[in-house]
Amino acid sequence: MFSKRISAALAGATALSLALAACGDGGGSSSSSGDTVTSLSILDYYNNDPDKTLVQQGLDACASQLGITLQRETVPGDTLIQKVLQQASSKTLPDVLMLDNPDVQQIAATGALAPLNEMGLSGDGFAQGIVDAGSYDGKLYGLAPVTNTIALFYNTKILADEGVQPPKTWDELKAAAKKLTKPGRYGMAFNANATYEGSWQFLPPMWTNGGDETDLTSPQVAEALQLWVDLVQSGSASKSVINWTQGDVKDQFVAGKAAMMVNGPWNIPSLNETPQVKWEVVQFPVNKTGQTPIAPLGGEAWTVPLNKEQAKQQKAADFVKCLTSDENEMRWAKSRFTVPTRTALGPEHVKEVPSMKAFSEQVANARSRTGKLGDKWPDAAKVIYQAIQLALTGQATAQDAFKKASGG
Amino acid sequence: MVHAPTLTKAGTSDAPSAEPSRRRRGRRHRGEDLTKILFVLPAAAAMIALFGYPVVKNLLMSLQDYTLKTFFTGAAPFVGLDNYVAVVEHQLFSKAMVNTALFTIGSIVFQFVIGLALALFFNKRFALGGILRSLLLLPWLLPLIVSSATWRSILEQDSGILNRSLAWLGVIDEPVPWLNSPSFALIAVIGVNIWIGIPFNVTLLYSGLKEIPGELYEAGALDGATGWNAFRHITWPNLRAVASVLLMLGVVYTVKVLDVILGMTGGGPANATQTLATQSYERSFIDFKFGQGAALSNILIAISLVFAVLYLRGTRRAVDE
Amino acid sequence: MHESQLRRTVYTAIGVLILCVMLFPVYWMLNASLQPSGNTLTASFLPLDPSFAGYRRAISEQGDNLITSVIIACGTVVLSLLVSAPCAYALAQFRSRWVGIGLLAILVSQMIPGIVIANALYTAYENLGLLNSIPGLIVANCSSGIPFAILILRSFMVSVPQSLVEAARVDGAGLLRAFVSIVLPISKNSLITAGLFTFLFSWSDFLFALTLTTKGGVRPVTLGIYQYLGTQVQNWNAVMATAVLSAIPAIVLLIAAQKYIAAGAIGGAIK
Repeated sequence: MFSKRISAALAGATALSLALAACGDGGGSSSSSGDTVTSLSILDYYNNDPDKTLVQQGLDACASQLGITLQRETVPGDTLIQKVLQQASSKTLPDVLMLDNPDVQQIAATGALAPLNEMGLSGDGFAQGIVDAGSYDGKLYGLAPVTNTIALFYNTKILADEGVQPPKTWDELKAAAKKLTKPGRYGMAFNANATYEGSWQFLPPMWTNGGDETDLTSPQVAEALQLWVDLVQSGSASKSVINWTQGDVKDQFVAGKAAMMVNGPWNIPSLNETPQVKWEVVQFPVNKTGQTPIAPLGGEAWTVPLNKEQAKQQKAADFVKCLTSDENEMRWAKSRFTVPTRTALGPEHVKEVPSMKAFSEQVANARSRTGKLGDKWPDAAKVIYQAIQLALTGQATAQDAFKKASGG
Repeated sequence: MVHAPTLTKAGTSDAPSAEPSRRRRGRRHRGEDLTKILFVLPAAAAMIALFGYPVVKNLLMSLQDYTLKTFFTGAAPFVGLDNYVAVVEHQLFSKAMVNTALFTIGSIVFQFVIGLALALFFNKRFALGGILRSLLLLPWLLPLIVSSATWRSILEQDSGILNRSLAWLGVIDEPVPWLNSPSFALIAVIGVNIWIGIPFNVTLLYSGLKEIPGELYEAGALDGATGWNAFRHITWPNLRAVASVLLMLGVVYTVKVLDVILGMTGGGPANATQTLATQSYERSFIDFKFGQGAALSNILIAISLVFAVLYLRGTRRAVDE
Repeated sequence: MHESQLRRTVYTAIGVLILCVMLFPVYWMLNASLQPSGNTLTASFLPLDPSFAGYRRAISEQGDNLITSVIIACGTVVLSLLVSAPCAYALAQFRSRWVGIGLLAILVSQMIPGIVIANALYTAYENLGLLNSIPGLIVANCSSGIPFAILILRSFMVSVPQSLVEAARVDGAGLLRAFVSIVLPISKNSLITAGLFTFLFSWSDFLFALTLTTKGGVRPVTLGIYQYLGTQVQNWNAVMATAVLSAIPAIVLLIAAQKYIAAGAIGGAIK
């Protein structure tokens, strides 16, 4: 009886909403007159300083070069995708959209993005991993002007006091971490939390050891997980790593509660604010000598959502082209402690920002997360962080963890 | 067993006499029905405008293969009950179900009992009582991202102030892995949720207590009802309407708690704090299987509905009494 | 006399103690806000060497957002109570089959995940031009305020004695006037309580603020605080300071409102 009434009321409400939606549809997006594009809207997640302002400088430079104005919206990082979906369903996507590089292929797969290679852009001269991450089905959908990665930071004073050399192999890493551990201080800190961030931090050991996301049950992957397990179980790293974000890891390092940490160059500006903490960076150690340290490529790609107005879409593509020009890459690489994605710029960049040397080397061999699995990467990443959690909480051995995590 | 008669306020106990007068009144005021409708109309319109579409949308979504692509193309084929089957068969479903039950029961019981005790305490007259009671609401003014970060630092195993204090007091020898051990994490998260819920319970129960006329206690005292007897025969019956809506809302709000858990543990360690709400979030916004996310949230709604129906039957009986 | 004086002092002491326990996390946040790092990893129990950098930043950057938050929260309270109070009275006192249905519908509305409501509102607001507007956010926040206020007010109004309204009606007052002049005044406590939480719901809203704004103009503090929380770099010092500062005006309002919760409002009216 009353369910019928409720559904009638609800049906009325739906009709109302639909009617509202329908009458607004006509007005929307025809703001720019003719084919002269005077402004572009931008959505990105550089919502806090210093990045927000530094990114703005690059955007402004390109805007004045193209003779346009910008409407920029910045949102907190973890809400970007939510925002994109909302805007997609109401057809209000921005003209230029920034995406975290591993998300590009997933969004491209929905058919929301315009192929950049049909609008005068190409991946020539860019690091292969960057082109991989921005491509889907053989087309280029996004380009990252600058990239980053993770490597091993160490506190030079603590290592010198304890007579420890920066480790080059896993055995050295474990020995060093143990020796550096004192009451109130751990030798090593990393992030192993139950998010994609935890998976990302695991990739240096996994890839360096020859492990691969296409076969997570391989012994190479298990060995890499064993490294994390050994570090935690020996007490050289805190049990809290399973809850730490990369930001927490940095806080531990700055507070002198960790002598070494896995982290990225985005921490350099804030590390520079605490000059009493002296640090250096080396590449992530290898399991056996002869291996090459391989780390994941970070950073964000700029994309152009499909637009009914051809002229606007082209202008947006021109804008992305400008963002990935030599000039802007160097500007952002220097000011934001990132690495230019045009490989030719590498040597000059390291000369100007020596503190980025280790990261620059690490990027040279780095891979993109979506290079092999494409838009299936998130599934693998989820298995990875779940397996790490199982192993570090002692619910599975490093050998079994991946099988258990993938539902076996 | 019942010594003293239950004392309630005039309004609810004189229902029989109110009934004939209401009928009389009905005849006198012809335009009354219209006025009555006007009382409800703004709220009904607001409810339909704000919730009509989302309710239907959530139901439909759970029957569709609703993915990332749907947002861009609009295409979402109907798949019947596949989403429900998929979420129920998922390896974490039963764990999430148990955790949801523990989380909800644990939170509600302690929030309510502690809340009631504090409300009774603050109902006494003493200096600064009003200000202290108001300050209890302070936690609600802090953004959750801030309070969960603060709690994480308090509960941190090595350097957290809780473990440091407990060790200093000699209560523990080894630091407790509050958020690091799958066996403690759920307890810790429930504890934080209780902390958040107490001010809500205190404030509502306190205003409920203030509505109880002092004369009832005076009358009760003459019959020898003081202390526990006064609580049982005067306070509790008069508080029942407020207490039951409070518990009802407690269940509805608690089963869908998301940000506290995400902020504290993200569902970890090793899925120890996954609930239906965190799973629903994960399905929608991590896996982009929006149909399954909606199915899980509809299961949550169904659970809440059971309580809602119980609540409505309870209140109807109370009104009819 | 003397003895009860002593007892009251003891009560005050217990009350202070309870508050210290309950508000310890708030103190700990205050402590963190005075550390240059914004965390308490190396902090002692008292912030003996306080840094006010976070506060300087928060004051210079969050003032406007704070005003926005206050306006939105107060607007939500007013609108929610205006809409809810008559409805709550109707659901409490009118005899109709619709009462049960109405209550159930209200309860169901509270079970819908906020994000589903936010997504639906986004599309509607886009077409109505309500994005980035304070009225838009007030209406959105009413989606938690109205149902909550109806349920709470109803649970108090069930016990408003019919006889009071009857008396007014005999004097010739219409239903509406009886409601305004009799029911509302004796429901003061519950109106304040419902308003209080409506304020708090609106104050702590993040989801609607995020969803229904697309540029910087209208930005409540809950969203503003995120300008210190980047994807990779977090400035906790400023975050904590903003949280402390933004709590101050709100707590003043709460204390002022709570002062008006008086004893036995109905009991007094019957006499």
